[in-house]
Amino acid sequence: MNGEYDAIVIGAGHAGAEAAHVLAKTGKKTLLLSLSLEAVAFMACNPNVGGTAKGHLVKEVDALGGIMGEIADKATIQRRMLNAGNGPAVHSLRAQVDKNLYHRLMKRALERTAGLDITEAEASEILVENGEVAGVRTALGKVYRARAVVLATGVYLDARIITGEYVRATGPAGFMKSSALTGSLLALGLDIRRFKTGTPMRILSSSIDYSVMEVQPGEEGLPAFSMLTEGNVRNDMNCWLTYTNARTHKIILDNLDRAPMYNGEISGVGPRYCPSIETKVVRFADKERHQVFIEPEGADTEEMYAQGLSTSLPYDVQEEMVHSIRGLENAKITRYGYAIEYDCLNPLELNAALGVKKYKGLYSAGQINGSSGYEEAAAQGLVAGINASRYLDGKEPFVMRRDESYIGVLIDDLVTKGTEEPYRMMTSRAEYRLHLRQDNADLRLTAIGRELGTVDDERYSKYLKKVAEIEDIRKALKRRYKPEEVEEVFTAKGESVPKTSISGEEILRRGRLNGSDLIAVDNEFDKYSYDAFFNVATEIKYEGYLVKEQRTIREAQRMEEKALTPDIDYSKIDGIRLEARQKLDAVKPLTVAQAARISGVNSADITVLLLWLRKREAAKAAGAKKAADGKDGE
Amino acid sequence: MKDTIVAPATASGTAAVGIIRLSGEEALAIAAKVFTAKGWSAASAEPYKMYLGKADAGKFADRAFCMYCKAPKSYTGEDVVEFHLHGGKVITEGLLRRLVALGARPALPGEFTKRAYLNGKLDLAEAEGIEDMITAGSEAEAMQAYRMMGGEVSRGVERVKELLLEAAANIDAVLDYPEELTEDNAPLIRAALTRAKKELDDLYEGSKNRRLLKEGASLVLAGLTNVGKSSLMNALLKDDRAIVTDVAGTTRDVLRESFELEGVSVNVSDTAGIRDGGDEVEKIGISRAERAIEGADLVLFVTDLSVPESAEERALYEKIKHKKHIRVANKGDVARYPREADIVTEAKTGGNIDELTALISEKLELKKRLETPILTRERQIYAVKAAAEHVEAALEAMDETGLDCLAVDVKAAWAELCALTGEDVAESVVDEIFSRFCVGK
Repeated sequence: MNGEYDAIVIGAGHAGAEAAHVLAKTGKKTLLLSLSLEAVAFMACNPNVGGTAKGHLVKEVDALGGIMGEIADKATIQRRMLNAGNGPAVHSLRAQVDKNLYHRLMKRALERTAGLDITEAEASEILVENGEVAGVRTALGKVYRARAVVLATGVYLDARIITGEYVRATGPAGFMKSSALTGSLLALGLDIRRFKTGTPMRILSSSIDYSVMEVQPGEEGLPAFSMLTEGNVRNDMNCWLTYTNARTHKIILDNLDRAPMYNGEISGVGPRYCPSIETKVVRFADKERHQVFIEPEGADTEEMYAQGLSTSLPYDVQEEMVHSIRGLENAKITRYGYAIEYDCLNPLELNAALGVKKYKGLYSAGQINGSSGYEEAAAQGLVAGINASRYLDGKEPFVMRRDESYIGVLIDDLVTKGTEEPYRMMTSRAEYRLHLRQDNADLRLTAIGRELGTVDDERYSKYLKKVAEIEDIRKALKRRYKPEEVEEVFTAKGESVPKTSISGEEILRRGRLNGSDLIAVDNEFDKYSYDAFFNVATEIKYEGYLVKEQRTIREAQRMEEKALTPDIDYSKIDGIRLEARQKLDAVKPLTVAQAARISGVNSADITVLLLWLRKREAAKAAGAKKAADGKDGE
Repeated sequence: MKDTIVAPATASGTAAVGIIRLSGEEALAIAAKVFTAKGWSAASAEPYKMYLGKADAGKFADRAFCMYCKAPKSYTGEDVVEFHLHGGKVITEGLLRRLVALGARPALPGEFTKRAYLNGKLDLAEAEGIEDMITAGSEAEAMQAYRMMGGEVSRGVERVKELLLEAAANIDAVLDYPEELTEDNAPLIRAALTRAKKELDDLYEGSKNRRLLKEGASLVLAGLTNVGKSSLMNALLKDDRAIVTDVAGTTRDVLRESFELEGVSVNVSDTAGIRDGGDEVEKIGISRAERAIEGADLVLFVTDLSVPESAEERALYEKIKHKKHIRVANKGDVARYPREADIVTEAKTGGNIDELTALISEKLELKKRLETPILTRERQIYAVKAAAEHVEAALEAMDETGLDCLAVDVKAAWAELCALTGEDVAESVVDEIFSRFCVGK
């Protein structure tokens, strides 16, 4: 049987791991290829999982049966809830994780997944027969046959790292690059581009003077990423905050001629979302200081990550710059920061199922699609894996909507609008932000995952339990309280005490009161899980806004339901403007709503398109009738 | 719930019959608020039957036919009500505005057709016929109209958009980068929203285009005493409404009259001549004159060519020059002291008065404003009003809700205005965050 698989996943980073896991979980005999098995789920940059919008992605991946959340919880060493004061929709869990532990746990989880083989090898060619994927050839010359292939090559395609004058054709952190695969993708006629990203230096902990920095401890009492996580998550390690200063900035500016970002050495397009320190100093010249977070790389290492100092300046400038920062005067750099350039696909090559439009059975996920970030990668890996699996089963593609999940927003943005820089998930990209919360990720997605076959019994029963709990809470909220029972809590928060009895629901609707105030009035509510209680409290408190958002979702819904097929030749539809025809042909949208989101397609174009669809339906009906009449005549 | 949309079904202009069509769940309820006929009410209206009655547009009423098409047997598949009116802009536009005031939303280009299609109502012949009518450029036309509207309104909309973008970017930047942006920017957001609200209110209340049809344009004559303002007014009105004598200070109050120009009524106010001193009554007249000048769409600054330019005259010009104005040098027949002017007239004999009215029309941009399609104009006004309501909701909720909710209202307001110019909402905020803030680690 060796050499024969249902599906092959190329790359075992955060996208590849999810894709391979879900393929195997849905019963597909799967091969996962990695350039190095030491690089499985390797966190090449920051030592955290989650954060704004990214925390939402992890929750969604978990709700659909992915593994990132589970592994992240197990590898966590510190947790915080970002945005706790800015409204429930944007509460974002962010965990510092032990990188090495994360890698080991993920590798072991994949090794123990039934139906999944992991092999160290460099994929060098995608084999295609009659427009359909047939397998993968490795650099060793071995051919593996499979009808579905998921590309999850991360930043490894023809990678090049740059630190000042030092340039090396290699992958991140000393791992080898992928040399031949770009050529294979080009030969398949795919649009390849070059992107750039970077990472800061790592510093030896014992050389840092923490006494002059602000300590950032973890927070207690937070929920976990995964529904499956029971018990406490580790939360005992600190991060620290320090700042750059005028001297740091002068050192950078004095050496700009040696900065690859500015002397022409780097041509790839870098992200605005994690700019290098030299970019920040140049673009925001009036800013007196920039934050530098010192974060542990793990629990069993002395290396610390200098978040905020991403750079590709020469080694000596990096040293001088680091030493100018308070608390880092005597810092020993263990690894220097570098920029990395890599090849990736133009995501407009993909449909909303993350399938490559030109070839059946070829899927793509993660940084190769122009995104950045572990969580963005995992989310795409999961969807690409699900769709590769469904393709093998001859099922309809699984497409997530923008009003349903951040994953839907992420993929729709990539495949509809394309991206000119590594794409980072942000809450501001989600137009239905109030609905896409962490507390309801499972309520939004777990039933869908169950249908897809990715949610197992354990996860599903936890979901059902939460649904039942929510019903209980809603019932309990009808309980009424006499004025004297609420007086103390109301007065303390500056709310006027009601004259007659008041229900729990009404208490939650009061502007200055929240869930914990209700618990103070009636500690019966304390028995419910954080997740379920928070969910109900939020839904009640923000009902007015949620209804507003719901209305626009329903408006958009009807356009989402009008399906478009990839075989439509837009260049032949008169009445649509030429620019819009070209854009439509490039994107090949799957729904009318997606078509309307393409930049350069306006509402009049959409109206013409709707009319054209109507005519086509009529023509088809007439054709079918004619054929049927013909048969009758025989 | 789908909102109810309204639009003229006939081209705006001077056809013999004008049709206005409402579509949506509230169509009949809204229609019942303007239409009365024997045996007709929202409850009793028999579908697909023409009733002759009266359509009340508020300021006037017109005899009209009304027909109700019950969902799903209608053009759009929703409840539809059609009014057949006497043609002509004033009547159709008046009723349209009334229906919008009662809760209908001005339809977007192609929206009736889109609804018809989505409800499975469009038959093939219709689809083909309509396709010819919808040119793909219709949105471009709307934008064209938006630009044509020019001047104060579109500049105002742009200013508000800037302010809302500033507020939205400040909110979203904090939500996406809470660790990096730790300063309290609530005062900044509040200031931006407060200014936006004021601008929107001004735009809505003072919308010149709206007033132009409803109330006409206002023209104020200003100048020192006895320069011939009253004669000029008479010449414009072509009758002897104002008292004209050679005694300085004859016009003691503000006189108002109106004349027609390009079909729009121009209300002319002749103010008391402004001079120092004078009696008490005259002083009251003068302060009224100053108020009239402030409220004017256009000021005619009238000077007398038979007397030398005085310090008083220059001082008065300083007072009015910030307004849109025309410098009219009068008494051209007895000119002895030439000075800078836009036009020279001889009010008493009617000399050059036609040229003056042409200049007034040009300055008021009457033609340009009237050419803007009514639907576009109504959409603009509707968008401004809706945006103002969203901003108000945001300001009211600011202290009690989280930033995530606040963003809903701010973005809704912004989306209303962006619909006028066809901008992409989400991407602009993201761009704005990165141009304003140094964020990202």
